[in-house]
Parts: sequence; structure tokens; C-alpha cells
Amino acid sequence: MDAKPPVNGSVTRRQFLRNGARLMTMTGLGVAAGALATRSTGAAWVWQIDPAKCLRCGNCATQCVLEQSAVKCVHAYAVCGYCQLCTGFFWPEPNELTTAAENQLCPTAAIKRTYVEDPYYQYSIDEQLCIGCAKCVEGCNRFGNGSLFLQIRHDRCLNCNECAIARTCPGEAFRRVPVEHPYLLKTTSR
Amino acid sequence: MKPEFELFDRREFFGVVAKTAAVIGLAGGAEAGAEGQGTANPFAYDISRFQKTDPKLIAYEEVTRWPIPHKDARRLAIGPDDQLYVCAGNYINCLSRTGQRGLELALAGPACCVAVARDGAIFAGLRDHIEVFDSKGGRVARWESPDPKTWFTGLAAGGNDVFAADARKLVVLRYDRTGKIAGRIGRKDAARNVPGFIVPSPFLDVIIHRDGLLRVNNPGRHRVEAYTFDGDLEGAWGKPTAAIEGFCGCCNPIGLTALADGRIVTCEKGIPRVKIYSASGEFESVVAGSESFPENAHACTDLNDCIHGGIDAAVDSDGRIYILDIVTSDVRVMKRKG
Amino acid sequence: MLRRLKFVGALGVMLLLALMVCAEQRFPPPDFENGYRLPSASTPAARQLWLQYADAGVLLAALGISVWLIYKKRSRRGLFWLSLFSLAYFGFYRKGCICPIGSPQNIVYGLFNPDYVVPATVLVFCFAPLVVALFAGRAFCAGVCPQGALQDLVLIKPVAVPLWLEQALSVIPYLFLGAGLIYAGTGTGFVICRYDPFVPFFRLSGGVFILTAGAAFLMAGMFVGRPYCRFLCPYGGLLRLASLVSKWRVRVTPDFCTQCRLCEQSCPFGAMREPAPSGTNPKWLWAERKRLGWLLALLPVLVAAGMWAGSKLSPAAAQLHPAVALAERYTRQQSHPVQYGLMTPESLSLQRAAEDPKAVLTAAADLRHRFDLACWLFGGWIGLVIGLKLVALSVRPGRTDFEPDRGACLACARCFAACPNERVRLGLMPAAGDPAPS
Repeated sequence: MDAKPPVNGSVTRRQFLRNGARLMTMTGLGVAAGALATRSTGAAWVWQIDPAKCLRCGNCATQCVLEQSAVKCVHAYAVCGYCQLCTGFFWPEPNELTTAAENQLCPTAAIKRTYVEDPYYQYSIDEQLCIGCAKCVEGCNRFGNGSLFLQIRHDRCLNCNECAIARTCPGEAFRRVPVEHPYLLKTTSR
Repeated sequence: MKPEFELFDRREFFGVVAKTAAVIGLAGGAEAGAEGQGTANPFAYDISRFQKTDPKLIAYEEVTRWPIPHKDARRLAIGPDDQLYVCAGNYINCLSRTGQRGLELALAGPACCVAVARDGAIFAGLRDHIEVFDSKGGRVARWESPDPKTWFTGLAAGGNDVFAADARKLVVLRYDRTGKIAGRIGRKDAARNVPGFIVPSPFLDVIIHRDGLLRVNNPGRHRVEAYTFDGDLEGAWGKPTAAIEGFCGCCNPIGLTALADGRIVTCEKGIPRVKIYSASGEFESVVAGSESFPENAHACTDLNDCIHGGIDAAVDSDGRIYILDIVTSDVRVMKRKG
Repeated sequence: MLRRLKFVGALGVMLLLALMVCAEQRFPPPDFENGYRLPSASTPAARQLWLQYADAGVLLAALGISVWLIYKKRSRRGLFWLSLFSLAYFGFYRKGCICPIGSPQNIVYGLFNPDYVVPATVLVFCFAPLVVALFAGRAFCAGVCPQGALQDLVLIKPVAVPLWLEQALSVIPYLFLGAGLIYAGTGTGFVICRYDPFVPFFRLSGGVFILTAGAAFLMAGMFVGRPYCRFLCPYGGLLRLASLVSKWRVRVTPDFCTQCRLCEQSCPFGAMREPAPSGTNPKWLWAERKRLGWLLALLPVLVAAGMWAGSKLSPAAAQLHPAVALAERYTRQQSHPVQYGLMTPESLSLQRAAEDPKAVLTAAADLRHRFDLACWLFGGWIGLVIGLKLVALSVRPGRTDFEPDRGACLACARCFAACPNERVRLGLMPAAGDPAPS
């Protein structure tokens, strides 16, 4: 059965089958695309951490595909108590309440302590130094008001299709949020 | 170039496919089966050495446990006939000595604190005002706070005075029995040597001690302060340490009550524990250590702020201590050992 | 513009949160006396939405240019430069994500998980190269795929892979596709993304395992052309199927084939095929048709066998899902307690499971049911793929010329230069019958 070149205008069996298969595939793709597109808002998704579910396991510092994790600690100043003895800043038993490295909880000294007025101190995070290990988050949440929490910083995050930290998070704290509202911040409303 | 449809292709083809499938299967199985062997977290926050209480220090044992009918319990108080009054949700529930439910007062908002005077009058502290009930539960009066930004978290009722601790405005208001403000205690005043309260979370408590002075906790300074009814600071004791003899974390103690002989019972959060100090502030013994409150410790860490955790305590005329566990919503009755 | 967006974003977040949570107030911060104002948390915006649309636009443009380069200009050099551009844009700039290779997972995930809506960009990335393949073959592979471009760059001395091996290994992309889709559909994760060996190079960081795998692929790619594309890429499997029915096909010769066989060794990817033998012995024909008949009858048997085998795989496959793994860990902990380190993910997840073990175990049981169905389908799919491969091997292709296999051809345009007719078209040779230049 040689494949003869087609006579003008007519189509070989294989060509006919091929055309048919192509048409069916196009229809199938069209249906699938249409079904999904009607649900699609056109919005893109980015990853974010829900601070209510975070268990401070330390994975955010180690599992991100980037060398320096895209997860950093964020401070909700409106929730903070501005304590002199901040348990997110100091070791559980500091020698004294100074910024000496031996007293600090943060392994990279990323929290800056500045005096505001008696007896209040402001604690702010230096994102260049923060590695997202959640030690301060644990200290703040265990004893204090819980104003320190982890968030993915979107000027660093690559927004991988499958977040490498998300799949190892023991609290299932990672979820997709719309790109227009990429943060899940703690506010004064609980 | 071989044409593709020759017999031996299929046999070798099957062989290769089988081998490849085996390899993929093995790899997949290995991947799925392999698990982290519990390697250490280099960033673990380790306070386990403070969470163990020396059993020789524990002087009380739990007798029984009663559940609270509502969630979001906050404070409890003892009435004149040893009845327990518990603030939970928008209600104040009365429990008898045997745990029977009695009176229930419904309030318009969350019940933050409660105190019962010797004549049976019940003072229910909501966040920004106080409601006064008679011993049968009939509403008698409503006392406003002078400041709109009030957040009452503690009440104490004496003979002629009712003291309301305002955690937001950092002051203890002295009301007379008609609801008029008779004085303010504890406000920062350099001239009177009053350093002022530091209250990062809504846990300011006040009790009337048998020596005629008030005791107020100053959580941010980790101490218990003694004031006269007029607001003079007579003394203070307490030190910040996670060890058993001090107050842990950033803001403790969160609750106070007193035994009949004048010793003070303190409640702490973070490392939840209830301890007894002498009237002058020496650590004496532990009523319940942090091992007794495992849910509390988790509430602080799981629900992401310590305001959800907490305990409060009250003492009846027999010296039994009642501990309100805010997280498990129950009251534990503690009796002295031996 | 950016600041305004940040402001709106922050406001939107606060409004959204205020709407979402009940209005119970946290204890407010202290009242400061010296006029201190509370700073607010910075919220750097994520990559703008219009840039994502721009990515889709670049993809469509690159596909169009690729088709034009293959069919109209017939230019290898043009394709080479296009592939370099794609490597730079889709590879190193976009870090290889979102890419069409993983997009079928998003589609399946969106179909089976109501809380995930597939973004429009992902739809474009998934369907556009497929539609192009239906008409013009694997133009995507040629000039647009950054993984392919990277492998093309390292190809120095192509070695021919024996045809039987090539045919056997060409089944693997369908296994990988099937596995990727069942894991996506059950919400386990995106394994195709997880095991992409080249994306860590684009990101310039990654784990030891995947970087080593990527290096191994590149080293193999120096001699075996495009190993990932031919033997692993799941999307390549789909493109292969689509190209089989494509309207236009890549032809080595611009006009007609003189059967000179000069192009036989010109394909570095083993896609070149010779014409079907002419003149058929009726005895062979009958034997071939009988074999085809048996294979067609074998097909449902293979599918059924595959389904059975797939159902056996289900418990192991389900382990990859974190919820199932947690349930397993929890049940194991009850009988054989293991001391996990303080605040390790294992100990924390066990703590969380201990709060509501029933929910954890029921969720795992539900997932195991889903996996049973999914693995059953996966097994049937494997059986179908193997069966169809065997059938395809037994069907006579109606080829009269030397031409690349429709499905295997990556449309790289390398074979054009080997054809004398092409050289005539380019003016490098005089046409037959024309006098030689003096």
C-alpha cells in the first residue's frame, strides 16, 4: 500500500484522519480552556504565610530555593507592647538588658532595639540580616503579644509554582493569595 | 538506519520499558519512604529547663476539675459564702462549693473581671464600664469610666470601696459604693515616687490585702506593688527571671489573690504556673507548675499570641485554691498536700 | 505609581482583614507621650500583573517567530538566536517559572481543587504551544523552550542512540506526565516542577541533589542530544502527540526529495526516518496485519493489567502527600514513639495532629481513596501508552521521502543544511542541469 500523492483536491485516508484528530483535539482544548477561563479571574497568585498557622519550625530559613530565604520577620508595631524586656529580642535569661550579642535571641542580630521614652523601646527588623528562622517569633508569641511574625517578602520571592517551603510546612501555613493583596498581616483586629 | 517495525525491537523494547519502570518505581519508593530522622532544629527556642518544676516545691494537689459553661473565660472571684464567680464570654457564672451551677448574669459585652463584696453585691467589669448587681442577680447600677479608652481587667470590692484596674490607662480607679470616682492609684508620678504600671497585655489585677493595703501586679516591671487606698506606694517585690522564684517572660504576673494568712498567690502566663509568696515577697511554694497546663503552653504558641492563654486564681475560706484555666475553660480545685 | 499601588495594597490588605476577621480588638499599644508615631510594616509589592501578561505575549510572539523561521525562512541560525533569546528571557530572567512544561499540572490541579483558579497566563502557557504543535509541529521545542535551548548549547558531538532504545525510552515522558498529573490532581504537589533539572541553574541556587542531576543531564547532553526533551519532558510527550496530527510538517527538502540520503545522519536527535519500503509481499502484508490485529486486541488487556498494577502502587504513591505522611507518622508514633528534636517540623506536626487526630486520620483516608482512583487511572494510562506504542510500531508509515518523524522532530532546522535542494535554494549550489559556474 504505497502512499500515492493525492489527486487534486482529494484527501488521503491518513490526511483525513489527521485532520479529524486535530479538530477533535482543538475542540477538546477549547472546551478545557473555556471551562477554566470562565472560572479564571485573570488574577495571578503569590505565596504567603498565614501567621495564625505558623509553628515556627525553622524551615523557612532552610527550605527556600534561594540562598537567602525570601521569608523575613515582620513587626506589627500596633500589636507590640514596647517592653523593656522583650522576649522576642532577649534570650530567656539575659545577663543584662542591653544589645550585647550574648543577650540577643536573633542569630544574626537582625532586630534593632531603640529607646523611645521611658519605659518603652522600639524593636525593628533589619531585613538584610534576617534569615527567617522564627526564633524571635517564637519568643514573642510565647510570652508576649505576638507582634513579630514571618511573611514572604515579594521583592525577593520567585513565586515558584510549588513553593519548596510550603510543602514541608508542618502547620500548613502557606497558601496562595491574590497578587493584589500579597500579605497576611497581623493587625489590631484579631 | 533500521526500519522501525522489526520483530526483535519489541522484545528489547519490553525489556527496556520494564527496567525503566522498575528504576522509576524504586526511585519513587525511596523518595516517599525516606523521611527526616528528627534532626534538630538549629533555631529551636529552648526553655525546657524552665518548664520542669521541682516536685519538692509543689505543695498542692488537684482535687477535681469543673468545666465552665461558656468559652473565653477570663477571671474568677470568690464570694462571701465561698461561691465562685467566673467571667466567661458575655456571662458571669456562679458555681457552688461543689461545682453546682447557680446564678448566671448575662452582660451586654464580654465579661472581663468580677468582684463580690461582703454584702453579696456583684460587680461585673466589662471592658469600659462596671455593672453592679445585687446578690440575686438584679441589675442595680452602671458605673462609667471617666476615660473612653478604658480596659478593665481586675476588680476588688472592699467595705466602702471598689477598686477597678484599668490596663489601658495604667491606673487603678477607686470607686465608692455610689459609683463616684474617689481616687486614682498607681498613675506615674515622680513626686510621689510612683513609677507607673507597664501593662503590655490586658492583665492588670488588684486585690485588697488583709493588711489594709492594695496589692497590684505590675507585669512590665515583674513585680507586685503595695499601695494605700490613697495611692501611696508602700513597697514592691519581684524579679524578672524564668526560674521558679521570679516572674518569667516580658509581662508577669498576670493575676493575684491572697490566702487568709496574707501570703500572695501569683499566676503567670508563657510558662504558666501558680505560685505562693510570703506577704513580703519571698518565694515559698508552687501550687501548680507548668506541667499542669500543657494546653496553655500550646495556646500561646499555636494561636499566636499569649493573650489567648492565661490563668487566674481565687482562694476560699478553707484555703482551697481555685485555678481558672482560660484555654481549657475549666476550674481546678487545689488542696494543700498532706 | 508603585507607591500608590503599595498604599492601595496596604489599605486593601487592612480592609480585607478587617472584613475577614471579627472585630474583636487586640490590646492596643501604649500611649506615647513624646509624639512617637508607630511605623507601619513595609509591604513590597509582588511582580505586577501586567508583566505576567507581557510574559504570555512574549511567548506567543516567540512561537510565531519560531514557526516563521522553520517554515518560511528555513533558517537554523535564526532559530539559534531565537533560542538564545528564549534562554535569556524565559530562563534566566523569569527563572524558568511559569513554564509550559509544568502547566498541565496547574490545569489538572485547577480542575480538581475548587479553591485554586488557574490564572489566565498559565492557560496561555499551557495551550499556546500545544495549538501551535497541532498546526506546525514542535516549534516550541525548537526556539522557545529555555530548557531545550540550554541543552542545545552544550551539544558538541551528537551520538546516535539505537532506535530500539530511543523508542523504549520515549515512553518515559508519558509515565512522568501521568505521575505529575495524578500528584497535581490529588493536591500532593507539582513533581514535574520539583524534578526539573535545569531550573536550579536559572535560579542560580538549589539543593545538592537537583543541581547534580542538572549537571548530569548537561554532561549527557553534550553527547546525547537533548536528553531531557526526548526521554523525560512530559510536555514534550504532549507535543509529540499533537505534532503527529499537525497540519504542516517539517520537511528536510524545500521542494522534493531526491532520495540522496545525505540527510540520514543529520539529525542529532535521532528523528530522521527513511521511506517505507516499496513493493509489498502479500505474505508480509498478511503477517503485519495479523500482528496489528493481535496488538489491538492486546491493548485492552494491557490497560487492564496496568490498572491492576496501578492499584498496587497506590499506598506507596499516597505517601508523598504531606497529609497522608502525617497520618502515617502519627499512627507510627502511637505504637513506636520516636523522639524528634525540639521544635522540628516532625515534632510540631505531630503536636498539631495530636490536637485533632480524628480529622487528620479521616483526611488521610479520603486522600488514600483519591489516590486509589488516581493510581488506577495512572496504571491504565501506562498500559494504554505501552499498548499504543506497540501499535504505532506495527503500523506502516506512509513515507515516500526521507523525513523526520513527526512526533520526534524537534524542528531545530539542523537537517536543512544537509539537503542539496536546500543548498540550491540558498544559492550555494547550482541546480541539477544548470551549468556549473566557471
